[in-house]
Amino acid sequence: MRAQMLRGAFVFAVIAALVVGTGPGRTQAQASRQVRELVLVTWPQAADPQQYEAARIAAEGMRKLGLKVTVRPMPWEQLSDYVWYNRQKWDMTTWQMVGRPERSDPDEILVNLFSSSTAKDGYNFIGFIDPAYDEVAQAQRSATDPERRRKLVYEAQRMLAEKQPYTFLVNPKSLYAYNNQVWDPKTIVDQKGIGIKNFWTFIQATPKGAQKDMVLNAQDPVQAINPLYISGKVDSWVTELIWDRLVRIGPDGLPRPWAAAAYTWVNPTTLDVTLRSGMKWHDGRPVTAEDVIFSFMAPKGAKVPMYKPFVANIAAIKALNATTLRFTLDRPQAAFLTSTLGKLNLVPRHVWEPMLQSLEGKKENAESLQERTPIGSGPFKFVSWTRGQEVVLEANPQHWAAPRMHRWILRTVANVEAALGGLRNGELNFLSDYLGDPQVLVRLSRQDPRITVVASTDIGFQFIAYNERRPPFNDPVFRKALSMAIDRTMIRLVAYKGYGVLADSPVSKALEFWHAPGLPQLPYSVQAARDLLKKAGYDWDSQGRLLYPANQTETLEVAR
Amino acid sequence: MTRASSRWIAQRLAQMLLVLWVIATILFLIFRLMPGNPLVAYIDPNFTAEQQRALVHEFGLDLPLWQQYLLYLKASATGHMGQSFFYHAPVAQLVWETLPNTLILTGGAVIVAYLLGTAAGAFFAWRRGAAAEGIGIPLALAARAAPEFWVGMILLAVFSFSLRWFPSSGTASPGVQYASVWQQLTSPDFLRHLALPLATFVLYLQGLPLLLMRSSMLDVMEEEFVVMARMKGLPERRILLRHAARNALLPVATAFALVIGYSLGGDVVIENVFSWPGLGRLLVKAVASKDYPLAQGAFLLIAAVAILMNLLADLAYAWLDPRVSYAKR
Repeated sequence: MRAQMLRGAFVFAVIAALVVGTGPGRTQAQASRQVRELVLVTWPQAADPQQYEAARIAAEGMRKLGLKVTVRPMPWEQLSDYVWYNRQKWDMTTWQMVGRPERSDPDEILVNLFSSSTAKDGYNFIGFIDPAYDEVAQAQRSATDPERRRKLVYEAQRMLAEKQPYTFLVNPKSLYAYNNQVWDPKTIVDQKGIGIKNFWTFIQATPKGAQKDMVLNAQDPVQAINPLYISGKVDSWVTELIWDRLVRIGPDGLPRPWAAAAYTWVNPTTLDVTLRSGMKWHDGRPVTAEDVIFSFMAPKGAKVPMYKPFVANIAAIKALNATTLRFTLDRPQAAFLTSTLGKLNLVPRHVWEPMLQSLEGKKENAESLQERTPIGSGPFKFVSWTRGQEVVLEANPQHWAAPRMHRWILRTVANVEAALGGLRNGELNFLSDYLGDPQVLVRLSRQDPRITVVASTDIGFQFIAYNERRPPFNDPVFRKALSMAIDRTMIRLVAYKGYGVLADSPVSKALEFWHAPGLPQLPYSVQAARDLLKKAGYDWDSQGRLLYPANQTETLEVAR
Repeated sequence: MTRASSRWIAQRLAQMLLVLWVIATILFLIFRLMPGNPLVAYIDPNFTAEQQRALVHEFGLDLPLWQQYLLYLKASATGHMGQSFFYHAPVAQLVWETLPNTLILTGGAVIVAYLLGTAAGAFFAWRRGAAAEGIGIPLALAARAAPEFWVGMILLAVFSFSLRWFPSSGTASPGVQYASVWQQLTSPDFLRHLALPLATFVLYLQGLPLLLMRSSMLDVMEEEFVVMARMKGLPERRILLRHAARNALLPVATAFALVIGYSLGGDVVIENVFSWPGLGRLLVKAVASKDYPLAQGAFLLIAAVAILMNLLADLAYAWLDPRVSYAKR
């Protein structure tokens, strides 16, 4: 009996020791200088092999610094939710900015991605806080003199290169293809940082023979054809053809007058715009100064939420006469031409005013309004939209820049291989959306001389983002060491198969006017990275794991 | 129809409603338990906190969960099904626009697969041991076992990209519009577009009716009434069609509902391979973008179709086998 009790007590003691033993063990780890296991989230291989491969190679480099790194793939929907709405929780993520014509001006990227004002719930999801940077970023925003602004944009890029909030990987090359028997290659326009799938190609492409319809593809279906709703990327290809804008971003990446015949800055907050004369809506009514004013003032109300940020700086618009408008701004805004005049669609007041009025007192906004036949004043007119299948537009012969093609037909092709096959068998004559292996497409063009492939460096860029709310990522030296330990050339060659250029700034090298020359390149060198860490006080334990500097201990749990 | 049988049907309809309610509830919960957030589709450098709040309010996600649930039940019961987050259009409209394409493809495939499958099954059972069976059964098995996206890609590679007999995607040639479903169904252009997805689908579905019919036929042919028919000296054809096949059809008819369920899974894959603008693709997109109202609406409709088909299969069973009567159950 007694022996039994003793045995019982012994068993109890062992269990208790085990339970207690694991308890203090953890607090000990918390008090240690050893850097915790770090988690790099990325896309699943099947969804985005390039980002996944880049993450694997990057993690390999980080491990050479004595870090324990786990690569955790997540579906995009889950990953973006995690990174965007759980800002305290994650360590590192692969991410990308896609190229859009409006991003030909660096303002949006320099301000919205790195300002302390957007750290809480905007696009600065990494929590990069640097008052000196904020100042420069804001200063370029109000510098209306291009040369002075360029200097500030350069300075902002240099500060980012020094602080390494991201490890910049590549500016990928966008790949598009077309049938050179259908379209005259001389009339296909390669827009800087965008590629050949752009507005200028669509209005200038000239058919060589009987096939006068351009048949293009997109993987995602069109969500809406609505000039007051910024919906999916594919939708914007359609809206920019139906609705004109005062300014368009030219093939050189710089703004040029479009529906505006001319514009002049009277002073840094006053802009006079002269409208092109004789413009007509697709229903035959003339485009008036009132229509233009309406187009910019409607988003200031509550019913056009997505365009609201772009008109926030407009204090007033006045018609000086039938064709001249005066925009008055609250503050000087250097990118105003690109980011506002080049962004907002001109909409007919006689169509949209009653539609917006019908929403008064309701929960819905302009985004849920779908015109049966959208009316714009652009170079293409709406013909039909079969959901999930195609959008058909036709050339507007009354337009001053009337397209040379007859119809523009955008087909939804969910399957990449089917899109390639369609290009080969003639069902498509312009491959406008291709996310597959670049080498497959290039091989196809070698076998079939009718197919021309054009690869051009994109405005968009791929990067690894570090959560600067969580040590050790709050330390610029640590981030710099990571960037040096990551073999970015290998990522460019293996993950992107050579279809990309190494990026050193959020401003793409394709934007020659804005990209800062001579930025530090941080060449791949594990030794240099370790030396840098050593100099900053970091150390290694006997197993080779990285330790924080002497006065610092690990305070965080492994990211879940 | 007797009173008993109409009462039985009324009971079945009440059961159907109950099942639909349970499914609707599960759907409501499952989409909200999934990781992810419908707002992530809007992430953009210009996405402000104000816009995020406005979206949450617009989507009704700021209401307590029980209130969202009641609103959802009401919307489903009235057939309105709410407003899609992703398309900013009524779910009912989106679903009705794509439903005909899906019904034509799946319905057509199920019918063709059943006709071909049962006929071939009966034939192989009748010719048991012949060379035709030796070749036919492994072929049917292989076609059934092959993943449908792979079969689809093979058919595309051969008949579309190489031979160029059929187009590779969509329901119509670029720029072609149909005024009505009837015009669509009778248009040669549509039929050419339908051919490959339908063939893929039939290959995917034929296995079940074929194998079931064959084994059921083999059983029936051992039965005394078949022996009796032979002894009466009836012609073989008549025995096959009138006596054996009709009885062998019973389990095949029961399996019909199963095939419908099976075909809905195949539909999603085949619609993606052939870019067929139907409910399946709408559904995939809705689930991926956390478009709760659209995903719920589309799933609910599919569930309703599957349940209805079950009911029809039961009714067909009674018609095929007079021994079965509703009243006795």
